[in-house]
Amino acid sequence: MPTIRQPGAVALGVAAIGIGALLLRNRNTATRRPALRDAEPPPTIKAARRLNRASGLIATSTLLDSAIEHYRGSFHNKAMITPLIASALTLVVSVHGTADKHQGAHRVRDPVYLAAAVTGLVGTGFHLYNIGKRPGGFSWQNLFYGSPLLAPAAVTLSGLLGYYSERLRDNAPAGPARVFGLRAGRALAALSSLGLLATAAEAGLLHFRGAFHDPFMYAPVTVPPIAAALLADTALGHPEPPNRLTCWWLRLTAWVGFVGAAFHIFGVHRNMGGWRNWRQNVLNGPPIPAPPSFTGLALAGLAALGLLEEHDDA
Amino acid sequence: MPDRYPGYSVLAKRDTPSWNEATRQVVDARLAIADEPHFFNPQEWQTLRAVCDRIVPQPSNRPEVPIAALVDRKLADDERDGYRTSSLPKMQQAWQQGLAALDAAANSRHGTRYHALSGMQQDSLLTAMQHGELNGPEWHGMPSATFFTERLVHDTLAAYYSHPTAWSEIGFGGPASPRGYVRMYFNRRDPWEAAEATPGREAQACKANEHVG
Repeated sequence: MPTIRQPGAVALGVAAIGIGALLLRNRNTATRRPALRDAEPPPTIKAARRLNRASGLIATSTLLDSAIEHYRGSFHNKAMITPLIASALTLVVSVHGTADKHQGAHRVRDPVYLAAAVTGLVGTGFHLYNIGKRPGGFSWQNLFYGSPLLAPAAVTLSGLLGYYSERLRDNAPAGPARVFGLRAGRALAALSSLGLLATAAEAGLLHFRGAFHDPFMYAPVTVPPIAAALLADTALGHPEPPNRLTCWWLRLTAWVGFVGAAFHIFGVHRNMGGWRNWRQNVLNGPPIPAPPSFTGLALAGLAALGLLEEHDDA
Repeated sequence: MPDRYPGYSVLAKRDTPSWNEATRQVVDARLAIADEPHFFNPQEWQTLRAVCDRIVPQPSNRPEVPIAALVDRKLADDERDGYRTSSLPKMQQAWQQGLAALDAAANSRHGTRYHALSGMQQDSLLTAMQHGELNGPEWHGMPSATFFTERLVHDTLAAYYSHPTAWSEIGFGGPASPRGYVRMYFNRRDPWEAAEATPGREAQACKANEHVG
């Protein structure tokens, strides 16, 4: 008989958040440049903070989603607690980063983001292993009902966007904005575009499993891919400025993410027993925390557009 | 026999989201069945009760499942299965013929009616029936082995396992409507499922079963 150590898991998560908060308090600001007070922060810092916000939103989504889904999986493997810790820490440092106007990468935020990105990659490996060991191996049945293949990728994305924001802060206030030697704005547009495509693929797989029984289930497989295409166009469009349509379409995508959560709340109600039977239906019904990942990625895309508009060489 | 699901009672789920009004009505009606015949005559009823005791012996530390009464109601309501082996007559007739023939066999072999025999004698007659060794005009051409498998064992076992007492015994949660199961993988358990006791962990299972509902 497997036991579910739910209070233990919650305590661990709270402890992780607490440790993160403490680490952030103890930061050594002497090694970093002071905040630019009473002045408009440079576009790289503005974009970095927007990215912190995007990363935090995706981390919220992955924290809640992995908590629910791994509780459903009875934390059968001890490692199933890892995404909860990684996402909780990412959330904490993202809140911190959103409020931080300092130049230069933060010595706690930076490694936390990197660790989250690696956690997501390792998680993808675990999920691949889980699907592969099921009877039938890599069949549609197991892709639908086994561990969701692309869910850990969202943890990677939140870590990667945060790590990117730290690299943005490494840029001097004046001069070209570069990340890994690439044009920071264009590269971020490309990264957000890929993230949106991957997330839309996951939604497509699971909404296909749900037989697209509600016409609104087509929204996440149409709106985000178009946003991804527009962002890809932006990424490859140097030296053209970003299209206004891209901006509006990303806002629409962000909205779709939030409305999606509301639709999923309704979806839980549609299951037998409705919300009265929440202990079954929150697990069995559509995942409520999943859709806001689109919002997070759309915000990352908007951060890229903002940087391109506000910076002369990004 | 050790209790595999200590402390578990399926009836704890009665007023939870696990069961709905339709389920409650069906189970309530089943629990209200009185241990008396509506279909069988007194002789058939005596024989049927004796047969049920041999096919499904029940522990003495809990109220018995009224197997004979459950079979009797199925016959009184003529709730047939929807299929029938062609060598057997219709359900009601098959049971009446079979019980009368079993009594006749008891009389011819031991000089007394079936219910008055010792347990071993009753078992040997049932074994003979199972092997198709009971013949005679009372059977009206009905093969005794087929009656044993398709009616006698089939209906008594189905009656036993239709009762909540048997559900609690085997850790069954009752009708999975409206609440079904979420953790559908080997050795996983939903909080509203019975917890099975592995040797040495009976106390943990008992504690978990307190919260089933």
